[in-house]
Amino acid sequence: MTYVLAKSKNSEIHEAGECGGAVTSIFKYLLDENLVDGVLTLSPGDDIYDGVPTFIADSEDLISTAGSYHCAPTMFGDLIQKYLSDKKIAVAVKPCDMRSIDELIKRHKINPENIYTVGLNCGGTVSPITGRKMIDLFYEIDPDDVVSEEIDKGQFIVELKDGSKKGVKIHDLEQEGYGRRNNCQRCDIKIPRKANIACGNWGASEGWTFVEINDEKGEELIKGAQKAGLLETKSPSQDAIDARSKVEGIMIKLSKKTQDAIYDKVNAMEEWNRCIRCYACRDVCPICWCHENCEINKSYFDESQIPPKPIAFQGIRLSHMSFSCIDCGQCDDVCPMDIPVSLIFDKLQKKYSNRTGYIAGVSDDIKPPLYSPAKEEL
Amino acid sequence: MSEDLKIVGLLCNWCCYGGADTAGTARMQYPPNVRIIRVMCSGRINPSMIFKAFEEGADGVFVGGCHIGDCHYDAGNYKWSRRAKIVQDIIEEFGIEKDRFRFEWISASEGEKFQKTMDEFYKTLQKLGPLTLE
Repeated sequence: MTYVLAKSKNSEIHEAGECGGAVTSIFKYLLDENLVDGVLTLSPGDDIYDGVPTFIADSEDLISTAGSYHCAPTMFGDLIQKYLSDKKIAVAVKPCDMRSIDELIKRHKINPENIYTVGLNCGGTVSPITGRKMIDLFYEIDPDDVVSEEIDKGQFIVELKDGSKKGVKIHDLEQEGYGRRNNCQRCDIKIPRKANIACGNWGASEGWTFVEINDEKGEELIKGAQKAGLLETKSPSQDAIDARSKVEGIMIKLSKKTQDAIYDKVNAMEEWNRCIRCYACRDVCPICWCHENCEINKSYFDESQIPPKPIAFQGIRLSHMSFSCIDCGQCDDVCPMDIPVSLIFDKLQKKYSNRTGYIAGVSDDIKPPLYSPAKEEL
Repeated sequence: MSEDLKIVGLLCNWCCYGGADTAGTARMQYPPNVRIIRVMCSGRINPSMIFKAFEEGADGVFVGGCHIGDCHYDAGNYKWSRRAKIVQDIIEEFGIEKDRFRFEWISASEGEKFQKTMDEFYKTLQKLGPLTLE
């Protein structure tokens, strides 16, 4: 594992990108050298609370995608699996995106040869609706006046058209029920170490991106972009490395605290009874891919009552994939009855990993132990 | 009425079903509340089957398989043992007591063990009473 600091040598990208535009430069290198068919990334939607997954095949279009999108909680794993599995692609991934890609590789739905993953450290995402509400309430700013947002030093900071900035501590926002999505508050994987490289501003000086190189492919990426004259690198000081791991440590500690506070409440929750059997959580789940042959649709379950008993709907889904739940929170976002679906899946994955040591999308085992033919009791 | 407690018993063809048979031919008394369903191997039991049983009104579910190492299909009971733990994890989140689900390894010659297990399981369920799911 090696660390470098990187920034773009291309002045246009340097201006547009977050912390020096290293990620955009790496994508430009991959497209220019024809190493990939295209790049899957987010491009701006209607406003800063919107991001649209876009497949870009021309490096000229990359510049419009630069920057960060904390209010667009998307999920790339199932997009790749459904629409891009036959293409060579590069993709910018949050830790949960990377974990979903890893789980789908284990399920033979994504070919690891075909994909370059550029990881982005992630402190959490904000639901666009919550984002608008909290900017109105806590910042006393019209949400439409905001031109950009960032998360830095525990604050959610918004920038206005006139260049002025205003930040509020995320902790204070979350005390009031706003701030990051619930699953992000629980998430304890902040750096996507399964990606070829993991980039972020933690520990980096202004205008640079701190890059952790995780494997040989990542090494090639950085060296290649350097050779092509797109990337400038230097090695970080020990202080920078320490600062970065300190940030990660603090975030993980906070998440663990949230986990301890909420996991015990799960079995007393009554929200599960609200389910109306709409299948939205299953359809959006990046891990659930076998919809055509889904157990819930088998005749012996399809005829069971509506609304379903939680054990007969969530129970079945839990038994099929909770051990691989990556806690991306997509199911929470789509649930029309506002059931905190991901909470129970995440809790069961934690139970499973405490027993078997298997962490979804992080562990290096070839398959989740439940699928293994090994003769061992776990 | 505890007489009405329903137990669904999923028994593997090669061992536990034989065990129940042995108990029967030896005229050992065990609670008649258990409805036995024969399956070819404990490794073919999905967690969904257990949930289905609870959903349809079972007060307890019992699964019996071959002793570890004795599986007729080599490793079926290992697979089941891993799944069984997930079942335990899941049911307790939905307000079904852990003790309402039980699995045991019983060989075809262990009629006595089958009888004892059924007695014990029935007593546990009597204490817990009928299951009400919301």
